[in-house]
Amino acid sequence: MKDLKHLYDLEQLLQECNNDLVKEACEKGQIAVGDVCSMIPEVLLNLPGCFSVRLRAPRTGSIEIGTYYMTSLLCEYCRALVERAVEGGYNFLDCIIAPDACAAMNRCVENMELLKTCEKEKFFVTYSDVPMKSDETALKHYVRQMRLRVLEPLHDVYGIDVSDAALLEAVEQHNKVCRLIRELGEFRKEEYPRITGYEFYIFCLATYCCPKDMLLPILEETLEEVREREPDQEKTYRIRVLLAGSEIDDLDFIKLIEDNGALIVADRHCFGSFPGRDEIKICEGEDLLTQICRHYMVTGQCPRFMNTEKVEERKDYADRLAKEYHADGIIYEQMKFCDYWGYERMAASHIMHEEYGYPVLSIDRPYVVGSSGQLRTRVQAFVESVEIKKIQGGR
Amino acid sequence: MGRKINSEKLGSLYYGKRTKKRREWRGAADTWYDYTRWLKNWSVMAKFMAKPANLKGFFRYRWMGNYLAVPDFVDRHTEGLRGPQLRIAHQEFDFIVEHVCDTISDLFRADPKCGNDEEFSKKLVVFDENMMSQIMNGFPNLKMVCREIPIVYTPSTVAQDGVLHYIDVAEEFGLPSDVCPMPAAELGCAIDDDYPLVGVCAVNCNTTCDGSLMGNGVEARRFNIPSFQLAVPIRHMQQSVQEYGAEEVANCIRFIEEQTGETFDWDHYFKCMETFNEETKLFREWLDISKTNHPQVIGNNVALYRDAYYQVGGGRDPRFLENDQKITQLAYKGYEKKVPCVSEVRHRAVLWGVQAQYYTAFPIWLQNCWGILPLIDMLSLTSTELYSTTDKQQALYDMADLYMKMNMRNRSNGGYEVGVDDLWRFCEEFHADMVIMYEHIGCKAMAGYHGIFEEQAKERGLHLIWVTHGLMDPRKAGRKDMRDEVNRYMRTVLREEPLDESLEEFQDENNW
Repeated sequence: MKDLKHLYDLEQLLQECNNDLVKEACEKGQIAVGDVCSMIPEVLLNLPGCFSVRLRAPRTGSIEIGTYYMTSLLCEYCRALVERAVEGGYNFLDCIIAPDACAAMNRCVENMELLKTCEKEKFFVTYSDVPMKSDETALKHYVRQMRLRVLEPLHDVYGIDVSDAALLEAVEQHNKVCRLIRELGEFRKEEYPRITGYEFYIFCLATYCCPKDMLLPILEETLEEVREREPDQEKTYRIRVLLAGSEIDDLDFIKLIEDNGALIVADRHCFGSFPGRDEIKICEGEDLLTQICRHYMVTGQCPRFMNTEKVEERKDYADRLAKEYHADGIIYEQMKFCDYWGYERMAASHIMHEEYGYPVLSIDRPYVVGSSGQLRTRVQAFVESVEIKKIQGGR
Repeated sequence: MGRKINSEKLGSLYYGKRTKKRREWRGAADTWYDYTRWLKNWSVMAKFMAKPANLKGFFRYRWMGNYLAVPDFVDRHTEGLRGPQLRIAHQEFDFIVEHVCDTISDLFRADPKCGNDEEFSKKLVVFDENMMSQIMNGFPNLKMVCREIPIVYTPSTVAQDGVLHYIDVAEEFGLPSDVCPMPAAELGCAIDDDYPLVGVCAVNCNTTCDGSLMGNGVEARRFNIPSFQLAVPIRHMQQSVQEYGAEEVANCIRFIEEQTGETFDWDHYFKCMETFNEETKLFREWLDISKTNHPQVIGNNVALYRDAYYQVGGGRDPRFLENDQKITQLAYKGYEKKVPCVSEVRHRAVLWGVQAQYYTAFPIWLQNCWGILPLIDMLSLTSTELYSTTDKQQALYDMADLYMKMNMRNRSNGGYEVGVDDLWRFCEEFHADMVIMYEHIGCKAMAGYHGIFEEQAKERGLHLIWVTHGLMDPRKAGRKDMRDEVNRYMRTVLREEPLDESLEEFQDENNW
């Protein structure tokens, strides 16, 4: 297939957290909000006058400083963020709005705060208590926390408009992005897809890391381009997979999977489009913030949701995606040292195989995969095993 | 050798593969006292085994074998003690033995594989290992059972290799080996079908850590009884979260009422909380004594026992209060006579982080070997608030407060204010010059403060000794490794000589 026009530029852009689009927005006087977890509704961080940047540490090499502060026992992603923060990589931020979602990320942000890694005068950090269940009691708590820990500080410190009109504007912008991303992703359902998993991932990842208003024209143009794109006449993949798991912001990891013949047709992870790029449906007659919070609570698929219904729903959700996108198998991955995904991956690798009948590859991985021979071998073996199963009629 | 503290070379009690070559000689009075208590513990266990359901259970469940090491467990936790400290230790540990026997008896009575008392099983509400139990104060006709305590938690303290099999089972199933071994062992036990399947319903809680929470979700698939997930707030110090906590407690009460047909009895709740408050008042007195130059209830004599009555007892069992009163009397007696815990106090230490389950006798080694007084530990520093005994609305907030501040959770969750800042505050309060910092390999919550602890301890001029361990898995860092870290610091940094050099280097990897 012909290369997509914006792909290379975005690839380059994603090599930096403080990328050109972020810099441009900061120069225009917009407030840069550091975001570390999907449990804080992204739209609340993208009100008029501010934009969210999901923190990453691309091109991470050594994480020795991060390891000194947090030991080698914590998630490498979190250690890499501390490392990058100590290096001054997040000095452009005006605040970090974090939830108490997992212990590792919470400690990561606390270290950033205690070590005074961001130098802006009005820089602040807030921590919110976010729900671990999906019910009306939790929702009330969620709404209150978001008002107290997100909207009020943004308004009080930076004068951000937090009115309903502003919230609605943010939701509309968010929905525009979601529609474009979802539409792009739909092409992965085709037998000869007009977009690869890697290409899609670049655009999707960019929506988490760049100011959305600047990205919209790029997404619109790309969508048109893909519509017109001629797919390859021969299959360029051997099997189709759903990729599910924890935080993935490493381009090389996706590339490694696809290079070995597994096309990623659906992405259900923290930087993926499921469920992060679901549109927020707003109806009249109910408080807007409540509706936003309900959306994130109900659609959230993080393993930290502990009520039985959610625990079971996560497996059904993966099943639904795999069916809808015609996946032959599922890759469950987790960042090493992630407790939530360690358990979820273990359970899902049994349940999705034994109860739902999918071939499952279960892997834990470092933050930066690079060209890991070990992972490559595992993906290759998985691809071969799925192919053999297909030949044997699924046995 | 004899009556005086540190007169016995305690290292000589460890002898190759044998647990101990003989019992410790503590002078006539203390040795006789210790011997009678040893006999008493055997008699409690013999009575336990006399029940047919318990006998069946003993042969059915692998984890029951660990309880053969109970007398050794008590010996380990009374090593080197004399006078009031010895009596306080027996007062506590012997009662724990009795209490655990009661709990296991209840489990086996209800267990379809042993006693199969279905009616009794319908009266049991199963709680999480680390959960507070105060909600059950309002259900006098029901019984709460912390399923994992007698099966995983206690065995791992009684015998150091007590739960290794279950950890291996969980890892074989696909659980990463970097998670905390406690929920891993609990899960392994479920995978191995080694839990008595009892109870009418279960309540799980977002307790100490992410791993523990996740383990519960997977285990619930095995137990197959209605479960309620009590999700109390993580940022427990924030005022804005208290209301949600109270509402969750109310939801939980409603769930138990629906499942059991019982009604929450406020009078009984308040009566139990009166007992709980009395226990708290006594605990405060122990802490006050520990802040003086003549501490009495320290180290092992606080840690495990505090777990038991704060969490499991919860005010429902008046025997704990009676026991506490006896302990307080002994403590005051020791304090008035200025009885020392060691022959020479070299350092006053606060123990922070999570203790090693397979080496809960580590604090006693600190005092016997190096004269380091383990004044208080992080897990024991839970709430010392007095809770309402009259106001129903306030009581919901109180229960939420207790659930948010359960053992360990109150420090591993809630931010650096409770995880780091409080440590320095306690060091000042207890006039400590040293921090023994447990570094549990699988505990992400505390490991995340590693560098901050280092830097802030230096700023304050405190000695900070890291002691690495694997909580329930001594294969990761054994008892000797833990001691070596202290030995190295004491020798090389402080250039001190041990009080009992026989304890500096000895083999106990094959002991229970």
